[in-house]
Amino acid sequence: MKEHVYETVYLREKDFQEGRVLFETWDPNARYAWDAGIAIGRFLQELKAGRLVGTRCANCGRVMVPPRMFCEHCFVPIDEFVPLEDTGTVITFSLCYVTWDMVRIEEPQIPAVIGIDGASPGMGIMHLLGEVDPKAVKIGMRVAAVWKPPEEREGAITDILYFKPL
Amino acid sequence: MSLMYRIQHPRDALVWEGEIPLFSRYTMGIAGERFFREIMENGRLMGTRCPECDLIYVPPRLYCEQCFAHLDEWVEVPSTGQVHTYTIVHADLDGNPLEEPRILAFIHIDGTDGGLVHYLGEVDPDQVCIGMCVEAVFKDKAERKGGILDIAYFRPVG
Repeated sequence: MKEHVYETVYLREKDFQEGRVLFETWDPNARYAWDAGIAIGRFLQELKAGRLVGTRCANCGRVMVPPRMFCEHCFVPIDEFVPLEDTGTVITFSLCYVTWDMVRIEEPQIPAVIGIDGASPGMGIMHLLGEVDPKAVKIGMRVAAVWKPPEEREGAITDILYFKPL
Repeated sequence: MSLMYRIQHPRDALVWEGEIPLFSRYTMGIAGERFFREIMENGRLMGTRCPECDLIYVPPRLYCEQCFAHLDEWVEVPSTGQVHTYTIVHADLDGNPLEEPRILAFIHIDGTDGGLVHYLGEVDPDQVCIGMCVEAVFKDKAERKGGILDIAYFRPVG
């Protein structure tokens, strides 16, 4: 059988606009509603009130955040919510020069996992760091939540704007 | 131990609502481009033939799925065929009921080894049967845009 190499065709926006290439478009309706459940539902309500909460396993004593209704170590149900501080420690972070929809940015976003004070070691939430020089960010850095004004909070993780160095 | 957790007000039951922006643009490819341009400009169906395997592909392929040979023999094929299988659709993509049911069929194109998925028209849903002979009804040339809907539907022959 003879090898056949197909010609490569590069398409530019103009080719579509000027009808040089046939195409179909489809904009599927991707609206969704996700039941937050008992634990995350409570977590979001507490965010609206300006507080962080976790859950404690009665068997192993771990304090977990974000809260969940069972302990994945002990496989036991959990019913104790515990208040947490809105301060913590950077467990890991990244400097991100591309937005979620792939636009280059000059000033990096700094997503980080923040171990929350009052929760067990290594237990934390993902959020952004702010008011900090990207070069100065270190693992182990102490940070505190910067909240939206109460009237703007809506029960979302974005009710915390970012964490800033203490 | 209890998992009961009472909410004080229905608004406390949190449902997270969101929307994922999805926009897609699908190009027809080299073979598809020619296939749909022939429909749009000349109102005819084309296929590609593999001389080794003696197969005619509709929609046309650029390579043979049996022997992987490059296919460059284009042949005009009839716009008639037989209903290979069909289904009667009563709801749209979002699950809303349709006023009139639509009939979707896979139509095996005469004289080829392929076929097209398309609507059946000018036929009562009760009358459709597997093996029914049908023909393509092309839209007026001015209305054609270069896509599968340049064929309005297939209708029974005779």
